[in-house]
Amino acid sequence: MKAVGARLPRYDGVGHVTGQTTYVDDFRVHGMLWAKALRSPVHHAAITKLDTSRAEAVPGVHAVVTHTDVPQLEYGHLSGLGIPADEPLLAKDEVRYMGQPIALVAAEDLEAATAGVAAIEIEYEERPTLWDVREAFDSDAAVVHRWGNWYPHFEDEMDRRQIRKGDIQKAFEDADHIIQGVYRPAAIEHVPMETQVSMVVPESDGRLTIHSCTQAMYFSLGVISAHLQVPLNKLKIVGGTVGGGFGGKVDTASETITALAAMKAGRPVKWRWTREEEFLASSTRAPWHMEIIDAVTSDGWILGRKMLTLHDSGAYARFSPYGLTKHSFHHTGAYTIPHLHFDGYVVFTNRVPTTAMRGFGVTSVSFAVETHMSRIVDELGLDPYEFRLKNANRIHDTSPNRISYTDPSTVDVLQSIAGATGHDLAPAYAAATREPREGEWLPDHLVDQISTEGH
Amino acid sequence: MAEATEVLTPDSPEAAAAAFGEGGDVTIIGGGTIMVPLVTHGVVQPNKALILADAGLEGVDQSGTTVTIGAMTSVSALSELDAPLGPCAANLGDSEVRDQATVGGNLCAVAPPEHPTGDLQGAFVALGASVRSTGAGGERIEPVADFLADRDNRLVLDVTYEQPQAGAFESLDRPHTHHPTPLAVSGARLADGSIQLAATGAAPTAVRLPSAEAEASDPDAAGTAALGDVRLVDDAVSSAWYRERILPVLVRRVLEQLG
Amino acid sequence: MNITVNGDELEVRSPGLTSLLRVLRDELDVVGPKAGCEAGGCGACTVLVDGAPRRSCLTAVAAIDGAEVTTVEGLGAADDLSPVQQAFVHYYAAQCGFCTPGMVVAATHYLDSGGSDDRKEIQEALRGHVCRCTGYVKIIEAVAAARGGNFDLTTTAEGGYTTVMTGDAK
Ligand SMILES: Cc1cc2nc3c(=O)[nH]c(=O)nc-3n(C[C@H](O)[C@H](O)[C@H](O)COP(=O)(O)OP(=O)(O)OC[C@H]3O[C@@H](n4cnc5c(N)ncnc54)[C@H](O)[C@@H]3O)c2cc1C
Repeated sequence: MKAVGARLPRYDGVGHVTGQTTYVDDFRVHGMLWAKALRSPVHHAAITKLDTSRAEAVPGVHAVVTHTDVPQLEYGHLSGLGIPADEPLLAKDEVRYMGQPIALVAAEDLEAATAGVAAIEIEYEERPTLWDVREAFDSDAAVVHRWGNWYPHFEDEMDRRQIRKGDIQKAFEDADHIIQGVYRPAAIEHVPMETQVSMVVPESDGRLTIHSCTQAMYFSLGVISAHLQVPLNKLKIVGGTVGGGFGGKVDTASETITALAAMKAGRPVKWRWTREEEFLASSTRAPWHMEIIDAVTSDGWILGRKMLTLHDSGAYARFSPYGLTKHSFHHTGAYTIPHLHFDGYVVFTNRVPTTAMRGFGVTSVSFAVETHMSRIVDELGLDPYEFRLKNANRIHDTSPNRISYTDPSTVDVLQSIAGATGHDLAPAYAAATREPREGEWLPDHLVDQISTEGH
Repeated sequence: MAEATEVLTPDSPEAAAAAFGEGGDVTIIGGGTIMVPLVTHGVVQPNKALILADAGLEGVDQSGTTVTIGAMTSVSALSELDAPLGPCAANLGDSEVRDQATVGGNLCAVAPPEHPTGDLQGAFVALGASVRSTGAGGERIEPVADFLADRDNRLVLDVTYEQPQAGAFESLDRPHTHHPTPLAVSGARLADGSIQLAATGAAPTAVRLPSAEAEASDPDAAGTAALGDVRLVDDAVSSAWYRERILPVLVRRVLEQLG
Repeated sequence: MNITVNGDELEVRSPGLTSLLRVLRDELDVVGPKAGCEAGGCGACTVLVDGAPRRSCLTAVAAIDGAEVTTVEGLGAADDLSPVQQAFVHYYAAQCGFCTPGMVVAATHYLDSGGSDDRKEIQEALRGHVCRCTGYVKIIEAVAAARGGNFDLTTTAEGGYTTVMTGDAK
């Protein structure tokens, strides 16, 4: 255990400070082509014409790839988890978000690639758009996805992530107060300093060497292999040096299309997104719409919670069903609430597809839960620490999905914040521990939720 | 890239004026902080580029009460000057951008049509500065406001103003982006005692605030009056709604400082 | 055109309006300066031109014909780190590392021109530099500590680097 407690320098620190760390864009190989994408200039449209013949004739252009070149056009990011595919690698007869890639042109230099993109003949027939997740369910809302406006393929073909625990009806009958709030954190762009970039080298033995800035190499390997219908042993990913990701480089954003162009051109190809493309077309953290209604007693117990979540997935599903599932498991935050009724929908809009960012699905709900806790405190005039300590998770309390907690730290965290901020706790609260509930910490309504099994 | 571009690097003001001629087909590169990225990304594809780096157009000359600033003077070279120009310059961008950004480029800053740009313009308008430029018809000297209204195809040579009795500059905090300050107000009590006010971020170029000037003795009334002089827009750094609430505050503070 | 890069005088063949960043990276193979935004907004491409920090993406190469250019590679090497580089390693001021080349160049200039260890002043000097990983605190700590220059990088028995402070940072 030499490392524990020791001040270890970063293994890559010296490379970083001397400019010797090699990021994907720093690789140079002989004969490399530069790529530029044709991206949708509109938010939602049918593609009524796509002709690349003039682009192929532009001097310096070596390959133009479109949907017709992709062996398996659709492959879901979570196909491995049984979530069906809905997103084409390159748009075919429809575009659903501005910036969606339609074609990639590989050429001697960026100017020729840009000229190639400009020479692609394409026509669109614009369609109505949907931006507000709350309008997605209206009968007159624009329909923006072939599955409808919300994801319909949770287990047993449920169209939502649903949690039912305890007896929500009774909780609301027993409550002294019903406190509601709506929370709507906005989309956030990750803004990694390094934009999306990949370089693919077709090797003489038929393999592809893929230089990637992905945060998830093995995951990307599977995605690339599936789309290209190339066995894994023909793909070598060189990665691990990432110029910032924060979740935004979990999606396999550029590697597969670059590989396709490199295969078609028979030359190494590099595709680096401009900062503008990064803002326009890279995925963001989702905006969320969360409604919470709590059944609360005058002395500060939360008996029950009803919650509705609309997760804005953007134009395609990607990881959103998974993110919403994590979200649902955490919808009581660091607190124990015995009676629950949660419905969450993954809603499609014409935004860029949304993705992971630092605590996928959970940061949104943590924000909503803590803000709601403060709202209850304000409305009922409670002590903010004592209210939280009362409802804080203890050993053997159970989560919304009935996991029995073995070592929750909520009580200790709250006590140390109180200490650090000079907030005096009443003796009973100062003495509270994470140990299983008993006595005054175990009112009748919490008895049934306790479990020592299920972890 | 831009193989075809003819690049001219004149080494004196006269050579620059001659190389510019009547303008038209010439793209001027001052500091390049706006223009070079536009060229890199193919937004502008110049046939002919005039790089002013060695043209000898920089320098701040203070003779008596007259201040003359060469077009290629860096923004950082202005930061020690009196208000409103000094603090306005010190507020622009960051130290590295200020070292490279020039006065001429700021007066001619291009941006998408409805996006306000060019922070120094406001200070110059408030100071009643005049711009000397060359181009079709030869040299022209005119008030900065007139120049801003008709600045296409001109090569800025220098800007001149009379030292005011007093000056003030107030702005919203500039976010960390390459956007100009979202909203700023410059004010000056000129040598003749009259008060001039101008805003940037309140219209596509700097605007004078005559209605506010008319109420100068009552800063609160002047703040409200200023709203009649501007065309506020929504953009990435601020909504028109927010600008509408802040403009009167900035005008009031500037007037209070001018006393 | 000619520019001297980290001491080597090099001929430049790119068209005159090419940004210095692209000349360095694509023509001269000096890839320390990074293309973070190519619009002047992030600072990752910052180099010294005749001793002053400058955004290479905002600089047309023809505007600096004959100049001396120093990139992060020219400030120190793995076996000969500058005080700023040592401090960045010691204080974990480089995380993903993509902004680091610009940060190190700007911080070096700041200290070389007499900058103090005052946090506000350091912040102002680095204002044009975006970092998305560290939250800036570690970077500012590193620059302040580098003012003292009291760092030593030694190799441990296990072969990896460890950092040892040889004196109190002022
Ligand atoms: C990170 C960053 C932050 C910035 N922050 C600010 C800010 O806070 N406030 C602000 O106002 N601006 C800001 N800018 C924009 C810009 O830097 C300034 O407006 C600057 O003064 C432009 O000057 P320049 O010489 O670099 O312009 P250039 O890019 O050289 O030129 C800009 C325009 O002016 C023309 N031009 C240049 N010189 C002349 C001349 N002598 N005669 C005629 N035309 C000429 C050019 O042809 C071009 O159309 C920022 C830019 C960046 C990259």
